[in-house]
Amino acid sequence: MSTEADRGRTRREFLYRSGLGLGSVALSALLAEAGPLSARNPHHKAKAKSCIFLLMEGGPSHIDTFDPKPKLTELHMTEFAKERTKFAAAMNTGKRHYVKSPFKFRHAGELGIEINARFPHFAGAVDDICFYRGLQAESVNHPTALYHLNTGNRFGGDPGIGSWVSYGLGTENENLPAFVVLPDVAYPQGGAANWSNGFLPAYYQGTALRAQGAPVLDMNPPSGVTPEHQRKNLDLLGSLNAIHRQRHPDHDELEARIESYELAFRMQAEMPSVVDLANEPASTLELYGVGDPNPEVDAIAKRCLLARRMVEAGVRFVQVIVGGWDSHDYIESAHGTRITAIDKPMAGLLTDLRRTGLLEETLVVWAGEFGRSPDNGLRGGDKAWGRDHNAKAMPLWLAGGDAPRGRIVGATDEVGDSAVEVVHPIKDFHVTLLHLLGLDDAKLTYFAQGREKQLSQTGGELIRELVA
Amino acid sequence: MVHSWRIKLALSVWCGASALFAATPAEDLFRETIQPTLKQHCLGCHGEGELFGKLDLRSREGLVKGGSRGPAIVPGDASASLLYRALEHSGELKMPPAGPLPDEAVAAIRDWIDGGAAFAERPENASLDWGAFKEEDLWAFRAVKKTEAPGGIDSLLGRKLAEAEINPAPRADRRTLIRRATIDLTGLPPTPEQVEAFVTDPAGDKAAFGRVVDRLLDSPRYGERWGRHWLDVTRYADTAGFSNDYERPNAWRYRDYVIRSFNNDKPYDRFVLEQVAGDELFPDDPEAILATGFLRMGPWEHTGMSVTAVTRQQWLDDVTHATATAFLGLTLGCAKCHDHKFDPIPTKDYYRVQSAFATTAFARRPLAFLPAEDTSGFAEGKKRVEGLIAQLEQKRGRYAETSRRYLMEKFGVSRFEDVPEVSRKQDAGLTDEQMWARRIVNKHLSHHAESIKRYQPLAFSVTSGLVEDWNDVGPGGAGSYMKKPDYEQVEMHVLVGGSLESPGERVAPGVLSAVERYSGLQAPEFAETTAGRRATLAEWIVDPLNPLTARVMANRVWQYHFGRGLASNANNLGKMGAKPTHPALLDWLASRFVEEGWSVKALHRIIMASEAYQRSSDPPDGAAERDPGNSLLSYFTPRRVEAEVLRDSMLAVAGELSLATGGPGTNPQISRDAAEQPRFTQGGLRPPYYEEGRREDRNRRSVYSFQQRSLIDPMIEVLNGASVDLSCERRDSTTVPTQAFALFNGELSYDLALAFANRLRNEAERVVDRAFELAYGRSPSEEERALAERHIEEMTAYHRDHPPAPRRQRKALVRALPSQLSGETFQFTEDLPPWEYEENLHASQVEPETRALADLALVLFNSNEFAYVY
Repeated sequence: MSTEADRGRTRREFLYRSGLGLGSVALSALLAEAGPLSARNPHHKAKAKSCIFLLMEGGPSHIDTFDPKPKLTELHMTEFAKERTKFAAAMNTGKRHYVKSPFKFRHAGELGIEINARFPHFAGAVDDICFYRGLQAESVNHPTALYHLNTGNRFGGDPGIGSWVSYGLGTENENLPAFVVLPDVAYPQGGAANWSNGFLPAYYQGTALRAQGAPVLDMNPPSGVTPEHQRKNLDLLGSLNAIHRQRHPDHDELEARIESYELAFRMQAEMPSVVDLANEPASTLELYGVGDPNPEVDAIAKRCLLARRMVEAGVRFVQVIVGGWDSHDYIESAHGTRITAIDKPMAGLLTDLRRTGLLEETLVVWAGEFGRSPDNGLRGGDKAWGRDHNAKAMPLWLAGGDAPRGRIVGATDEVGDSAVEVVHPIKDFHVTLLHLLGLDDAKLTYFAQGREKQLSQTGGELIRELVA
Repeated sequence: MVHSWRIKLALSVWCGASALFAATPAEDLFRETIQPTLKQHCLGCHGEGELFGKLDLRSREGLVKGGSRGPAIVPGDASASLLYRALEHSGELKMPPAGPLPDEAVAAIRDWIDGGAAFAERPENASLDWGAFKEEDLWAFRAVKKTEAPGGIDSLLGRKLAEAEINPAPRADRRTLIRRATIDLTGLPPTPEQVEAFVTDPAGDKAAFGRVVDRLLDSPRYGERWGRHWLDVTRYADTAGFSNDYERPNAWRYRDYVIRSFNNDKPYDRFVLEQVAGDELFPDDPEAILATGFLRMGPWEHTGMSVTAVTRQQWLDDVTHATATAFLGLTLGCAKCHDHKFDPIPTKDYYRVQSAFATTAFARRPLAFLPAEDTSGFAEGKKRVEGLIAQLEQKRGRYAETSRRYLMEKFGVSRFEDVPEVSRKQDAGLTDEQMWARRIVNKHLSHHAESIKRYQPLAFSVTSGLVEDWNDVGPGGAGSYMKKPDYEQVEMHVLVGGSLESPGERVAPGVLSAVERYSGLQAPEFAETTAGRRATLAEWIVDPLNPLTARVMANRVWQYHFGRGLASNANNLGKMGAKPTHPALLDWLASRFVEEGWSVKALHRIIMASEAYQRSSDPPDGAAERDPGNSLLSYFTPRRVEAEVLRDSMLAVAGELSLATGGPGTNPQISRDAAEQPRFTQGGLRPPYYEEGRREDRNRRSVYSFQQRSLIDPMIEVLNGASVDLSCERRDSTTVPTQAFALFNGELSYDLALAFANRLRNEAERVVDRAFELAYGRSPSEEERALAERHIEEMTAYHRDHPPAPRRQRKALVRALPSQLSGETFQFTEDLPPWEYEENLHASQVEPETRALADLALVLFNSNEFAYVY
């Protein structure tokens, strides 16, 4: 059925037009070639084979973390005159004042990079870090900015970065999901659409692991159902399906569904050992802060350690979500406790990855959906200031793989209102992130809704400064 | 090296629908950097506001020609260009007068001039090269050609089969056929009695099957099934999505309107007219008002953190694209930023169609309930929401009381009235934890305040021009959104590159020029008034001469019957969609459809009476080699049933399905872990997911499940349920292991298996036979019966030794979350809802034999035969 018009088209496009999709006949065809999740070669050589993305949900302040602005101390409580356009959100209108950072900064690492002094553990890791100050988002609204950072599309519905990466590289361990999400207690704004497979086949959907109970939804049967009980039912299912299969020898799709049940039970068997932290040595637990009396440290530490274990077990992309950065008021306490909560776990993760050699082949990314403003409407009065949303400047760092070590790339203006050097939009960051994982955004496309789609949406530019 | 020209001086440009092929770097540079720079810093004096020095910087010609000081640029040579020297502040002339531009901007302009000073072609000026389109890609735009085909569908399919030398498969046996037809038309399996009646019907195959089809088309279950298909296309949901995901409390009336329309066989042309412009065309027909909910089905939210221009444009783009996708089968969104790369759709046409919606406002308008809308449960439903509100008000009252006491003590007064008014802050005296908890309580109350409007006679609809009393932007958004005059005398412009900041040529409302060019259907005249634009567009869509509309729908109907359309991309009949395998057949169906008064039921009868529909699913000789995709339809392609069919079938077979129709969405039993997952909203948490208390309310057909964008039933989602964000032209049937988790481990599966077992024990002597009959519509074979009986025996023994674990108790949830104020973890309790919960039957209530039978039932639910239609 291949016609003149089909020539030169991609396989996926052909499938789209044949109306078969990857589910039906094509699945068996694909399985015969290679499973949809089997490991694939990257587009180009890259050190990093997997990625841990630490997503700071709520919009962490660059000004109060890794991009100090002493000028604000001078300007503190003076009025901030901003040009108003029809593109301002209601939130950013009214009388506003510059506000200083309540935090002390310190020099860290060989290069003396300045960071908030409340990162005592992370200070020891900055020589592995590339801080990037040039990124700009486009939306100051949480869900749209999160969708933008996570999927490239502000209005949702598209695949998450992890889905694209799994689609591009497959996974090293088909008994585990390729793309794992370790959310906070509560799902972020915009919910599970932040790790959806969008129009990509369901194999590439992010699997959110739960902190308690069965790590994957319904991975375990209801309580009281023993493995023996389950196995007996599974065996009967196998027998009935086999009889049915004989009656429909031409219907290949049945085979895939039979296999999916077996795969599910291999996953059920393997997953508990991956998520079980009990076998980690006490020194490792301590390194991350597992068991810390501060329950926030303990919770984040567990997720960071789990992320390392996932990557080690062959998971391609792990996203750790840490919420609570939306500090409109009381930034000292609100950001202060967040920083304390994440400092030890993320430093522990970096140290652990370095000492096990995994940092060479694991890209670590730390970013929020946008940064925060140098000014505030002072709703809580002049003792309770915080910062509002700012899409024009935001904190981000990279480590591992081919990311530069101990470098600051780009700059914001003297008050941190906007990036002014090495300025790039999110789509360029997406191109760069994929590049660091050996993938070319322009080649990593999928034919959907009548055209080739890609993470950057319309193509973007590599941020060369972020590649060592 | 620093890529100076990347520096953005204006707000970044958004292009949702996006360029398909990257423009040249020079054009990108111009559009993204040079043009915004000129616009922001130069055009005020040299082009738009004034023409100082007779210099016009709006066009390349203007720059080359220059002003009173001579040419502004010498393309290819920045150093010789006056513009660059002035910006560099190196010579006598220094621009802008207010001070130099950032170095990067100056460098960008230097690079741009050195590179030849390309002006990006402005899409609205681009003349589409109509000659570049190939005839074979234009088929959908050509007038429908009716073929005379006395043999109908089969004669039109027959020629290609004969050419391929494939003898089509014989007629399927009656048992297979009735299951196929029943699932097709109603989304439920036939009952054993229905199967037996058909199998033993002495009438001829044709007559007997015809009667089955008639019976199914008359069933109210038909509209629930086919309405669901349409809801896939329109992305139906009961909530708005994004941060708060507030309920759209009257959206259910649109869902029921769709179901009623299919059940009543509303002529499709009328169905389209109502959804696009019901308010304008049939203002006195309440159904037509409800229909306009279609225009608002996409996810949309406007809050204090949103930018009005952006959210308005988001809706305009959404509705333009949704309308074209649903009715015309075109991916119009591709033409938002540039002329469509594949189809003959210039950007200008995109904005002309969009202009039809430019005056449309969201309306929540009073509209009395119709006799067809059953309101009998409303009083009770409302009481339940009131119960939730009262529960929360009580909590809020406790915080208020704490605050009052604190203030009275602080001011040393005995009456709260004596506390100075300025000091009566809501948060006074509350701990951080209490402040946060109070905020969450408020957030929950704001959600319930929306939810309770479900029971009011209001319509989720639109108006042309804003009716202020009906304005419906959602909680908290109206203040900063558009006002009445913004909907009148709207001037629409092409947005260059899809960017709001680059309005280009002005456009008037219009339609797709390709349709007139290729089909001959004359484009209508639009009055550029506030009202009437959508009416004109809608009438054009359903003009019998419109080549797209009937084809698109006939193709969709065919697809839902055969699993694949004649053109296999139901939402895309353009170049990138598949060509029809049988163009003459598609045209024949489209014309029959119109001749039959756009009756969808007539189309079903025509299709289902064909031999092609009634064929066995065993491939005949030669089919695998000569037609591996079965595009010639020599046999019936088996397919997996959709998620909803699977759930509804489990309920039906278990004897638990409630057939109550219509009304506000109800919360079914979903994975409890998913239900208990807390979800952040703007400044708080979304209210918990509360299952319905009564079993019959939980066990309704899936189409009536409350569709929450931020919490899709994970079982439906994992089985390739429809997206609530993107129009779903056809369900995927990807097979992934998490489906096995949901179906084989899920609590619902266990509960329904137990209910099924209990039903069998109560109703039947030969339980195994009856189980197969109910689940599969047939008796078990000897081998199957033996396997099943042995399993029951073994499992009975097992269960005797393994008493079931007690039922998991439902209890209030204590959340531990970081506070936004302090970052400290604090606790917040989510109470159980204030209503009775009618438990499902539990394993501890039945004998080991029944539990063993439930194991068989669980296996049947998970089996391939249950999940596939043949």
